[in-house]
Amino acid sequence: MAIFKFSEDDLFTNTIEAYPQYSFYTQSGSIYINNRPNVPGINSANSLDVPVGYISLYEYNIDRPANNYIYPFLIKDGMRTSFKTITGSAFNSLQFESVITSSYRMSASISRNFYNSATRPFVSALQNVFNYYSYLSPHYQYSSSFGDKATQTVNLISIPSILYGSSIKKGTVNLKFYMSGTLIGELQDRNYNGELVQVGPVGSTGSGSVAGVVLYNEGFVALTGSWSLNPDTIDYDISDSSKWIYFNYGANDGKSQSLTSLSSSFLMEYSGTTHIQTMTMFAHARYSQLNYSNNPTFISSSTAQAYASGSLKYYETPKEIKNIVYSDFVDEKPEFKKVTYISKVAIYDKDKNLIGIAKVATPVRKTEENQYTFKLKLDI
Amino acid sequence: MADSFYKSLDVGKDVVSTRTLLHEAIPLTGTIVSGTYGTNNIKNYAHGMFQSVYDYPYLSSSANHIFDITVGVGAKSSLTPVTQLSKKLNIYNQMAQVLVGYDATGSVLQFDEDGDILAGGDKIDNAIFLNFSRLLTKDEIKKGTFQLDLGVHPAYTEDGSVFNSRLRITDASGSTGYLVNSPVGDYGILYATASAGTDVLALNQSYPVGLLYYQAGVAVLSSSIFNDVALGGILNNSFGHVLMNGPSSTSEGINQVLTGSAITGSADNLRTRMYNLQFNNTVELNSSIYFCRVNHNEFNYSTNPTYLSESKIRVKTQASDQPVSYITTVGLYGDNNELYATAKLSEPLKKSSDTEFTIRVRLDY
Repeated sequence: MAIFKFSEDDLFTNTIEAYPQYSFYTQSGSIYINNRPNVPGINSANSLDVPVGYISLYEYNIDRPANNYIYPFLIKDGMRTSFKTITGSAFNSLQFESVITSSYRMSASISRNFYNSATRPFVSALQNVFNYYSYLSPHYQYSSSFGDKATQTVNLISIPSILYGSSIKKGTVNLKFYMSGTLIGELQDRNYNGELVQVGPVGSTGSGSVAGVVLYNEGFVALTGSWSLNPDTIDYDISDSSKWIYFNYGANDGKSQSLTSLSSSFLMEYSGTTHIQTMTMFAHARYSQLNYSNNPTFISSSTAQAYASGSLKYYETPKEIKNIVYSDFVDEKPEFKKVTYISKVAIYDKDKNLIGIAKVATPVRKTEENQYTFKLKLDI
Repeated sequence: MADSFYKSLDVGKDVVSTRTLLHEAIPLTGTIVSGTYGTNNIKNYAHGMFQSVYDYPYLSSSANHIFDITVGVGAKSSLTPVTQLSKKLNIYNQMAQVLVGYDATGSVLQFDEDGDILAGGDKIDNAIFLNFSRLLTKDEIKKGTFQLDLGVHPAYTEDGSVFNSRLRITDASGSTGYLVNSPVGDYGILYATASAGTDVLALNQSYPVGLLYYQAGVAVLSSSIFNDVALGGILNNSFGHVLMNGPSSTSEGINQVLTGSAITGSADNLRTRMYNLQFNNTVELNSSIYFCRVNHNEFNYSTNPTYLSESKIRVKTQASDQPVSYITTVGLYGDNNELYATAKLSEPLKKSSDTEFTIRVRLDY
């Protein structure tokens, strides 16, 4: 086996930026992520073993019977290592050698907070953030001529970072408000500046107006548009006509609408941004290299290893390399050529520890007259 | 942070590498393996060399691969398979090459019942292999935690009564008595005891019936667990050997299954006898701990713009007041002062000239 050192031009580290799309359809208190229906299991209401409308972080305990979950644990020792879910006082009260357990049934989903009173902790906590992004649009200002977020009705939709990655991609946010299946309002951040502008239906009340803003990096959508999109009055946080401040009503806010009467539904779409670092390695099999193998089958089995020894010598007769050159004629031996088949490329660290193996789908035939470059890609 | 105060760490005193062992409890009930989803979570392949078991119907993207089952018959076995002979032989040899290795002449060693290869002793000629998924075994199966309950009631039925008599197979001495003479790491002896039913075993003792390779995540079981003493097994002769769904009928034993049934058929017979399977795994978390020492006369000032008001230190009302700062973040820098990582405190730490701290920063990787 030959070992070669990667040169400076053989190693590249790149970052792949991807924009995974997400959609959340909310109706009558149920959320459907990426149009995926809830799949009940035999042992649980949701086969992922997390609440319906949530994604599972690990997808480790799939439809398991109760008390039969995979869970992590560790033993309390002098390192005082623990899980985040264990409080400091609970940890201190445990004896050393005690087993500390946690759970893999972690989940995430969007949630909605509706504020129409003075107490609005989630909104006031974002005051500095709103003001910071005012360079993008004056609509971000916590308090301005467009409204005071400390007093106006605010519909805050929270998106956990697992559902968007590094940030929400600008210009991809789209909110649709349906009344009994008919589109009555559509918002887009069409200016790429976080303003959610009503773009549809054409000619609808409020078209062209800004109904809220998006905090791209933090994962929040703050809606303040309070004009009527439809004259029918139905049950929202209060009995009222449909407005953007009621968008996503029932999205993990503990509320739901009855489907027996006129009802609304909501679709929220956006693309996230993720970064994946990849290392690309070029492994070269050059002319006249890698034409010998240590594989026992490389040697012809018809030539037994003979040796001669005496008081002054030990001599092994040379072994014959098996000639595998193809010939159309059975009675004529083709001219010998060194031929190997490359099946793997192994990666070693500087101390020659094997740290990775790349396998080719089918072995590559290598002779002295041809050369190859294998491109290896590793997500890091 | 632009002009932070850099303080060099003394590698000998302030930096220490540690290792934390994190475990997971992995319960795999027999119902998942042999019935809850019918055969929708069981995957057979065209090559027929092993069978894969999933924790959920495998066509679902949520399904996790749990383990593979296959069987092998050694060259020195008294059995001569008529179905998939070469595959059963090859599987045995391949597993033995990897897990046991070669002798001085270059011949593949056989699986040894007690692990003492040099001493000879009983070999496992007919083996059942359970190859556990890396997702479940992680770095290694935790020694001394493996437990497999097998229904060995002799009669073949499909109503669950095969579990009326059971064997419990454990790596009883794994935590202290494991062996290291394998190319793939540590392994322990699997012992069988009777856990349900009467007069199941020939003697009231534990029998070595297999090997468990902890890092490789492979359990090797001898077919003797399904045979009575008369057939070279461990079950009581009066209890009888286990009847299985064989190549011809449902009243055939493991020997007929290994010779006449396909590998997938042998896997089915084992799988439907699995009452419970559980083990714990281990993950090694490597950490570096940086003890960042803050002496009384250090870090009492800040370069934060808010520290000054009208060109005066905000926290001092009189010239004689001691300076005060609040530590919120510890930055770890490289040799050339490139920021590598930041550690945030859960709440700012008040620092004045009459206090000293050691902030312990742990970096897991």
